[in-house]
Parts: sequence; structure tokens; C-alpha cells
Amino acid sequence: MNGIVYRKASEKDIDRLIELNIRLKRLNEEFDPLFKLREDIVEKSREYFQRALNSPDSVVVVAEDGGRVVGFIKADVVERLFYEPKIEGNIVEFYLLPEYRRKKLGAAMLDYVIKLLKERVDIITAEFPALNEIAVEFYSRLGFRGIVSTYARES
Amino acid sequence: MKEKSSELAVKSAPYYGGKLEIVPKIPVRSLEDFSIWYTPGVAAVSKAISMNKELSFDYTWRWNTIAVVTNGSRVLGLGNIGPEAALPVMEGKSLIFKFLGGVDAFPICLNVSDPEKFVEVVKTLEPGLGGINLEDISSPQCFYILDRLRSEMSIPVWHDDQLGTAAATLAGLYNALKLVDKKLNKVSIVLFGAGASNIATARIFEKAGVDMSKLILIDSKGILHSERDDIDELMLHNPWKYELALKTNRAKVTGGPENALEGADVLIAASSPGPGKIKKEWVAKMADKPITFLLANPVPEMWPWEAKEAGAAVVATGRSDFPNQVNNSLVFPSVFRGALDVRARTITDTMMLKAAEALANYVTEDKLNADHIIPTMDEWEVYIYVAAAVAEQARVENVARNPLHYDEEFVRAKKIIQRSRKILMSLMEQRFIKPLPKVD
Repeated sequence: MNGIVYRKASEKDIDRLIELNIRLKRLNEEFDPLFKLREDIVEKSREYFQRALNSPDSVVVVAEDGGRVVGFIKADVVERLFYEPKIEGNIVEFYLLPEYRRKKLGAAMLDYVIKLLKERVDIITAEFPALNEIAVEFYSRLGFRGIVSTYARES
Repeated sequence: MKEKSSELAVKSAPYYGGKLEIVPKIPVRSLEDFSIWYTPGVAAVSKAISMNKELSFDYTWRWNTIAVVTNGSRVLGLGNIGPEAALPVMEGKSLIFKFLGGVDAFPICLNVSDPEKFVEVVKTLEPGLGGINLEDISSPQCFYILDRLRSEMSIPVWHDDQLGTAAATLAGLYNALKLVDKKLNKVSIVLFGAGASNIATARIFEKAGVDMSKLILIDSKGILHSERDDIDELMLHNPWKYELALKTNRAKVTGGPENALEGADVLIAASSPGPGKIKKEWVAKMADKPITFLLANPVPEMWPWEAKEAGAAVVATGRSDFPNQVNNSLVFPSVFRGALDVRARTITDTMMLKAAEALANYVTEDKLNADHIIPTMDEWEVYIYVAAAVAEQARVENVARNPLHYDEEFVRAKKIIQRSRKILMSLMEQRFIKPLPKVD
């Protein structure tokens, strides 16, 4: 698909980011009831993106088609206190609208983010629900492998 | 009429003890003959088949025998009533197979709800059968089951609620379009209802050359489009609908059905019983000379006269007491007749398209009018034409173990179907089949 532009997000994208973030979280909810959406998810999303856009340690990138944002990635730069390599670029949110999937655009957007982070980080990690096999397949194809497991139970 | 037939059905069911039985087709002059039909003679037949399994089609009933398989998870409009309650319906289906297509079909009601297990069980049936007709399985599991069985079995697998209705719909649409002088690849189509039949209809429309970007599907949640709120949920739980969401409605029309129907050329409704599901003012907003198929049973989504009053040029329903009955019984007996006669390994989408074309073309130009776009079940010769078209296409596509040309199958199908009808008539004449019981 031609004409897709990747760029850093800015304040004017926040409403759209909230919308796409909610889609992403709803998808997570499909995988596991422990990802049930909070009622105040809109406000929380707004605060979240505002904070990220103002933080030197977060990167938010959007994919744009004809001026319309159709996907986004949020990554954080984190220090790994005990391990080498020391600085990690952690992809915490990743969403692309369905009609833009399976066209290598997700990989291209990820590439764009990694390029932005390259100077600063030595290792790239990604988080997603354990049962999201589509994500497992996607990251595995790009050479990622699992290094951390999060197990949960309701107390 | 419905009440009377219900009453008769309930009375007849115990009177006849079901609808089918197995009757031998070889002579038994004396018990001595069992040494031919059974042991020791039969061992030679088994031995021959063990050397060449394909001979099972020549040496046994396999060439003409299919199973009508269900788990009773969505029976007619009755819902999940279970495999036992599905049995009378499967018997009825088998009866139609025999009477209209000369196909020996028998019911198999499985106590299996897990689709994975269902697939495994049905696959194990292959050695004894010439084909599988799936029936009354809930959606969306039915899509998964059909897709897997079609790709993993080497005999034809058909799910009539999907494919039969879709093929009959396409046949009706071919002729309706001739009447209003529009082209299939140019029209904009709205599919109202996204159950087994309309999802299958969308898929076959695509194969037939419909411009999918202009097609709009409407389900219980409204107009489907690639950015609808539940799209990711569909990706995980109904990939068939998801795929259609990505391909259709490129303009991303949203809102109520009236928005989808505005300017549309064709409406295919296969949702839930009406009347009042489709409003006259929606049909009034459609393009010039609109075509409306209102296929819900027992009551169409809107009455046909309402559709006409709202400006519909052609109206079809699923009912036999109105003109233009889009009826899967016009399709499945002959599709299997043709597929079995050539010992097809599968029924391809193009074989289905050819069946729809043959069904449409049976209504010749001189007979074609707004009240006659599709043959009726009384026109029994239509089955021969459809069977021949299906067989011919199987040969062309190289999926026939026993390739036959159109004319060969035409003669063969005619003979088999005629014989089947004659046997039943003769059993009735000789009172082996008793007349229907009286109801007051």
C-alpha cells in the first residue's frame, strides 16, 4: 500500500490515539478477561498519551494514510538495572486498523520506531497478551523471542 | 396450510415410523443367493477392493451414497434442539435427495458440539461414502467445519444451508438482472442478515464477479465495515465475516439499513422471519428497478406485495406459495447427482457457479418474467440439466475420477432420477407405502 506515512505523534493526534488505543485494549480483552476495560479508559488514555508525548523516554509513532491516522506504536526507553544490554526499547502499544494489516505495514512501522530508538537502546522488547498468537507469530517472524513471562491469578 | 402440514407430519411420523428404510436392489431367489451377496462370495469382492480402493465406487453402493450429517445445533428456525430432534429433518432431506436426485442419502446425527471433533468424526466416514451433506450446523462453526472438510476429504462435501441457498440465490439473481437489464459486475448489492446463507452468498457472489467493494453486509449489529467497533472481535471469532468486512463497503457507509439501501440495485435479505424487518421506505430509496429477495421463512422480511408497492421490479422469497421461490431443493439433489456420477473428489466453487447458471438458464427467455425468474420444483427436468452442468465442469476442472461429458451425464442423470421416482410410485401403487393417514 503506497502513501502510508510514519511520523512522530503530536498533541493533535491525541483523540485518534485514544480511539485506536481503546480498540487495542478491546482486542486484548478478547484474549483474556483479566484485560477487562476500565470504565474510565478514555480519560486514562488521554492522560497516558499526554504524559508520553511530553516524556523524553517515550516514543509515540503513528501511521497515516491520506492524513488519517490508521495505526500507532508507543515505546518506552527503560533501563535494565541488573542486565546487559543495559537500555531497552520496550514496545508497549501497537495497533493497526484491520484493512492495513497483512501488507507488511506493521513491520514497516516497527522499523520506523526502531530506527528512532536505535541511537539510545541496545535491545528491543515487546509486550502483549500471552494468548495473542497473532502477535507471537508477528514478532517471531521478525526475529523476536520470548524472554519474560507474566503469570496472573486473581488474588 | 402450515397448520395442516404440521398436523399431518405429527400424525404421520409414528404412523410410518419415520420416512426411510433400506431396500435391497439385488435379487434374492433363495437363501442360497446369500453366498453371492455375503460370505463366501463377497470375500472376492472385498479382496478386489483391497487391491484397488477406487473399486469401492464400482463394487458397492458408494457411487451413489452420501450421509446427511448434523449435530442438531441449528435446526431450521428452531435453534439448538439436539441431534435426536434433528433426525426427522435429516430424514426429510434424505427423502428429497432420493426423490429429486436419485441419490441414496441417509441421516447421521452426531452427539458432538466441538467443531474440531466434528471434523475428525466426519473425516473417518469417508471410506464408506460418495459424499457428505452437512446440515443444520450453527454459524460460524459451520464455516470452519465446511472449509476444513472440503480441503481434507477426497469426496464432495456440501453444507446446504450455506452453499445450496447461495447457489439458488445466484441463479435467481442472474435472471432478475436480465429482466432489469443490469450487469452482475456493475450492480451494488446489500446483503441483509449475515448468517450461514448470506456469508456463503457473499463468497459465491465474489466468485461470480460481483464488485465486492460496492457490496454491503448488514448483520444484527448494523452495517458491516472494516472499522466497525467489533472488527477485532470478528477477526478472532468469525474470520469469515471479518474477511468480508475488509473487502466490502469500501465507502464505509455506516448507520441504519436505510443508508445501505439508498441507491442499491439489489437486496438479498436472509435474516429472521418478518414481516416488518425491511421497511417499505427503505426499498423506495433503492436505485431504479430494484431487485429484492426476501428469503426468511416462514414469513419473509417484508411481504412481497409491500416490496412491489415500494417499487421493487423483481421480488423473490423462500416460500412456495409466492412466485419466485429461492429454494435450495432446486440445487442440492442435482449437484450431488452430477458430482456422484463423475465420482468427483470435491465440489468446487466453479461447479457451484455452473449449477447456478444451469438453473437460471432453464428458464428460457420466452418464459422469463418478473414472476418467474427461477424454476419450480415441479419442473423435474431441471435437475438433469443442473446435474449435467456440474458433471461437465468437474471433468473440465480435473476433479472427476470418472469423467463424463455433458451429454453422457444428461442421459445418465435422467435415467437414475426417473428410476427413483418410478420406484416410489410403484411402491405406492402396490401399497407397500400406505396412503397418508386422515386428519380431521
